[in-house]
Amino acid sequence: MVHPLRETAAVSGIGETAYTRGTPKSGLALQLEASLAAIADAGLSPRDIDGVVPYFPGGGIAEDFIANLGLPDLKLSLFVPMGGATCVAAIQSAAMAVASGVCNHVLIAVGRTGYSGARVSTRLQQFPQFALAAEFEAPIGMFAPAQLYAQGARRHMALYGTTTRHFAEVAVVTRQHAILNGNVVMNKPLTVEEHHASRMISDPFRLFDCSLESDGGAAVIVSRTDRARDLRKPLVTIMGVAEGHPESPASIAQRPDLLEFGLAKAAPRAYDMAGVGPRDIDVAEIYDCFTFTVINQLELLGFCKKGEGGPFVMDGRIGLGGELPINTHGGLLSQGHVVGLNHVIELTRQLRREAGRAQVKDAEVGLVTGYGDMGDGSIAILRRAA
Amino acid sequence: MSTTPVAAPTSERPLPIPTRESQPYWDGMREGRLMLQHCAGCGKVRHYPRPVCPHCFSMESTFKKAPTGGTIHTWTVCHHPFNFFFKASAPYIVALVDMDAGVRVNAPLRGVNEADLKIGKRVRLDFEPVNKEVTLPFFVSD
Repeated sequence: MVHPLRETAAVSGIGETAYTRGTPKSGLALQLEASLAAIADAGLSPRDIDGVVPYFPGGGIAEDFIANLGLPDLKLSLFVPMGGATCVAAIQSAAMAVASGVCNHVLIAVGRTGYSGARVSTRLQQFPQFALAAEFEAPIGMFAPAQLYAQGARRHMALYGTTTRHFAEVAVVTRQHAILNGNVVMNKPLTVEEHHASRMISDPFRLFDCSLESDGGAAVIVSRTDRARDLRKPLVTIMGVAEGHPESPASIAQRPDLLEFGLAKAAPRAYDMAGVGPRDIDVAEIYDCFTFTVINQLELLGFCKKGEGGPFVMDGRIGLGGELPINTHGGLLSQGHVVGLNHVIELTRQLRREAGRAQVKDAEVGLVTGYGDMGDGSIAILRRAA
Repeated sequence: MSTTPVAAPTSERPLPIPTRESQPYWDGMREGRLMLQHCAGCGKVRHYPRPVCPHCFSMESTFKKAPTGGTIHTWTVCHHPFNFFFKASAPYIVALVDMDAGVRVNAPLRGVNEADLKIGKRVRLDFEPVNKEVTLPFFVSD
């Protein structure tokens, strides 16, 4: 039986601000600037938006969208508190809202002053999902994601022989892609040697294994497919979408398998809904808070077996022209950190054939993931339906 | 264009704020004991402390003194002090340990060279008073 949500919703509009380190704008202003760009991209008026999912914390809440965009009749205001998995998980919530007829056009928006505002060391204390880490792990010197996720990476290396050379490959290829995109924070080439020489953050993660602290805004509009068909841009439908929550969701330390998280549950559900498998994917935008996180997710997504993610990323496989081009925009590692909504935007561009020099030839089906908090996962599979 | 971060990280030591659920664990630490929560219904141990047993849904539990030995599950070496307080001690090893008691504990591992770290290495938990109220765990080689 075809899943009732399959292709009933579409990504109809995308928008983003400049990605920078340093801005005089507030998170809310960045969020609204990106929202207006997404609304214009779709060919809609702000008045047409009747559902809002703001990324929180950072930026505004539904009330700010009503006040600034003059929304006449907002019918849905949601938070999806899943950290880096939020944006893609929000696509599921938005798709449900438009498929059920509650809303016509749902706006998902991020505004973030990750460089000029609160930095990672203080920002996370705002998250209720980090309460256990704050009580049990921050006092012993473990608090930042780079530290908490490093233990999983170290275990993967010990169990499977994964090396920092594999990590470097993800960083280097992602940078190559960023250089093709005009709107990125990091626009100079990166070599494996420079990666290996960058300072250690939390072993085995070096500086260039870590995503950027940057400023910027991004927004996406999800519309019911029949409405999106009549809008400005080529139709990109949501074939499959899912969120997944791991065991011991608020503490990585207590999780039976540190390398098995929410995406392991979400990916099979999304593939089932979409009616496709890993072999059908032409391009993948993988949440890259850390290089290793990409390697781990490639395994959970079924592109390779568990433990084989390191060798998988080598030999040009994940670059443009390779078997599975990933993070064709430069990702969180090199483009900018807007909690992965830039990954959704890039996948939509790829399927519209608007990706410029980073265009994957004949891209028809692609996937995008989110990864957040202590291992929440999300995935959307999109298709060019124009 | 401003490029100066406006919110500098705090230099205060982060300390636990015990909850009604976790208070017995922290009381145990202060008394030099690893106290773990056991379900009164099915007897299973759980960590971190929480109100309901996820196996049998009992809300009754007791804290029992647990053995302090365990084996390294994985580790990291923290170089960048995300909190300025830890700048003086960086780099420091944090070991995630499979305790013999059946839960995991994350804590600094002292007196061990990075080169000697490996999964399965035996360690023992010890206690370091930080102030009158708070004692924190750390590991040493066993």
